[in-house]
Amino acid sequence: MFRKILVLTLLAALLAGCGPAVAATQSPSTAAPIHVQTEAPTAAPTVAPTPAGVTLTDGLGREVKLASPAQKVVSLAPSNTEILFAIGAGSQVVGRDEFSDFPAEAKLVASVGGSMGKYSTEQIVALKPDLVLAAEINSPELVKELEGLGLTVYYLKNPTTIEEMYKNLNIVGQLTGHDTTDLVNSLKARVAAVDAKIATVTTKPSVFYEIDAPAANKPYTYGPGSFGDLLIARAGGTNIGNTLKDAYPQISLEQIVASNPSIILLGDSNYGATAEAVKTRAGWSGIAAVKSGQIFPIDDNIISRPGPRLVDGLEQLAKLFHPDLFK
Amino acid sequence: MKPTPFFLVLLALGLALILSLAIGSVFLSPVELWDALRGQGIQTAMQILWDIRLPRTVLVALTGAALGGSGAAYQGLFRNPLADPFLIGVASGAGLGAVIAMSVKWPYSFWGLMAIPMAAFVAALLTVFIVYFLARVGQTVPTTNLILAGVAFSSFATSLTSFLMLRSTGEVRRALGWLLGGASQSGWTAIIAMTPYLIIGLGILTLSGHALNLLQFGDDQAQQLGLNVGRAKTVMLIAASLATAAAVAFSGIIGFIGLIVPHVMRLWFGADYRRLLPLSIIGGAIALLVSDVIARVVLAPQEIPVGIVTALAGAPFFLWVLRRTKNQGFW
Repeated sequence: MFRKILVLTLLAALLAGCGPAVAATQSPSTAAPIHVQTEAPTAAPTVAPTPAGVTLTDGLGREVKLASPAQKVVSLAPSNTEILFAIGAGSQVVGRDEFSDFPAEAKLVASVGGSMGKYSTEQIVALKPDLVLAAEINSPELVKELEGLGLTVYYLKNPTTIEEMYKNLNIVGQLTGHDTTDLVNSLKARVAAVDAKIATVTTKPSVFYEIDAPAANKPYTYGPGSFGDLLIARAGGTNIGNTLKDAYPQISLEQIVASNPSIILLGDSNYGATAEAVKTRAGWSGIAAVKSGQIFPIDDNIISRPGPRLVDGLEQLAKLFHPDLFK
Repeated sequence: MKPTPFFLVLLALGLALILSLAIGSVFLSPVELWDALRGQGIQTAMQILWDIRLPRTVLVALTGAALGGSGAAYQGLFRNPLADPFLIGVASGAGLGAVIAMSVKWPYSFWGLMAIPMAAFVAALLTVFIVYFLARVGQTVPTTNLILAGVAFSSFATSLTSFLMLRSTGEVRRALGWLLGGASQSGWTAIIAMTPYLIIGLGILTLSGHALNLLQFGDDQAQQLGLNVGRAKTVMLIAASLATAAAVAFSGIIGFIGLIVPHVMRLWFGADYRRLLPLSIIGGAIALLVSDVIARVVLAPQEIPVGIVTALAGAPFFLWVLRRTKNQGFW
């Protein structure tokens, strides 16, 4: 009897292993260059792109085709919402994730969920979008699920440099039918201005950026490979978290004291952290930044959300690190 | 004529299925629903009903059935009212397998996405295997050893999972979402992949009612009553673990169903495992369906992970049932 059951089990396991006969999705291409209907860089910036079909390869290697620029977009990440509004596509956003809070108009758009990674697919489908804009915080499973419901999804990969962020702006511009040349040029100009001033700097202050400190002796900070680390360096500071290994490590209080940063940035000021509270923390009083009172709150969203506000973040950091250069 | 337990429970299942199809984060009126059912509704309503709610309802019902059935089996096998399907490490093993699989950059393709549930499934079964052999003493597997080995290995796997999640910065959100549970895959792939294991696992368990009844007298007594205890326990363990592993691999880790549903069924309908097992299977489906509806609706459009709802709703409900039947010696 047992043997019969064993044989049946093995048979069924083999059969189940054959898997359902589902049509394979498009085979992933290697990181291919973007196929694009290029508009010649024009001196007259008011030329809008002609409404032609758009074919792009997204961050997951999927080919995404739109017959015409999308007029109804659902954004699944706060960074995507910021990008959409920044390039002038705000009126085309019909749905956004729960955490999209910038600009203020975004909060008026219908929410489709998003906390703990759970979105309401029913809501997304009911909004009938031409395009769903996903980001790296969305899982490939979610993309697959929405694809299976017949929606067009574009997965926008996180940029690893500010220049890649411009590329993302261009991509979203093409998807929604907006010319992003002006926006990108103005951002480039601002970044170039910061770069020029920072190039003249002789000393770079050491900086401790606190992302969050649920335990005051092991706060989270930006490490190598994170955007925060990149921005701090570009703004003319030295991130003490740069010597650690992970991108979002916990740094021990001992290490902070040993590195003795001259500036402390409170990325968790959105959640109630204040300079006064930091001064009263046990063991922190010997740090240079605490002694000189150089503890500044900063909106972490402009440092961590991969959108055009990264340039705001860069400027703010540069002003904090080198106030004499940015009067 | 007094309605039999099966009639009542099947009626409740029917109601739960209808509830799950009718309610969701987008409100569809009864007229729209009826039209969509007949294939004549507006496109959005049809898509919501057929492509989103129907596969989800089936997946949730199957998962609940697997958890309820294996929960009853584990409680009978271990003769312990606190036993649940995750006792010997299926959940923690699956979690570890899934998180390890998530740290690999699979290509975005059908098999690339199936890699996660497959890894979770294999890891879950491997865990049961390891725990079983850790607990073996000669030819027998004493239940105490199984529980101890299971608890120890579970802790190990869970802490390893947490460590991996902390180290991998990109995947934490995805891993957390998976671990908290909930039917995240719409579409029929998960259902097709799960069903063979559920049929085998739950099928064997339903036929093992008599053996479980005998085991309640203790291993020695059962042996003397003619049951091949070692073999019966092994078979039932494999069957229950297969069903649980398949459920967990696609729906994540959903607690309380496997623990509470068998107890409720026992309180209402008695402890005869020939009846208790099928009732727990159906009862598990009902419980998870109702929890899933609540998870979808309470904070719409925000969805809560269903594991939170089962914990919040299941415990008070169980306490209420317990109080109502406090005169019966139920265990």
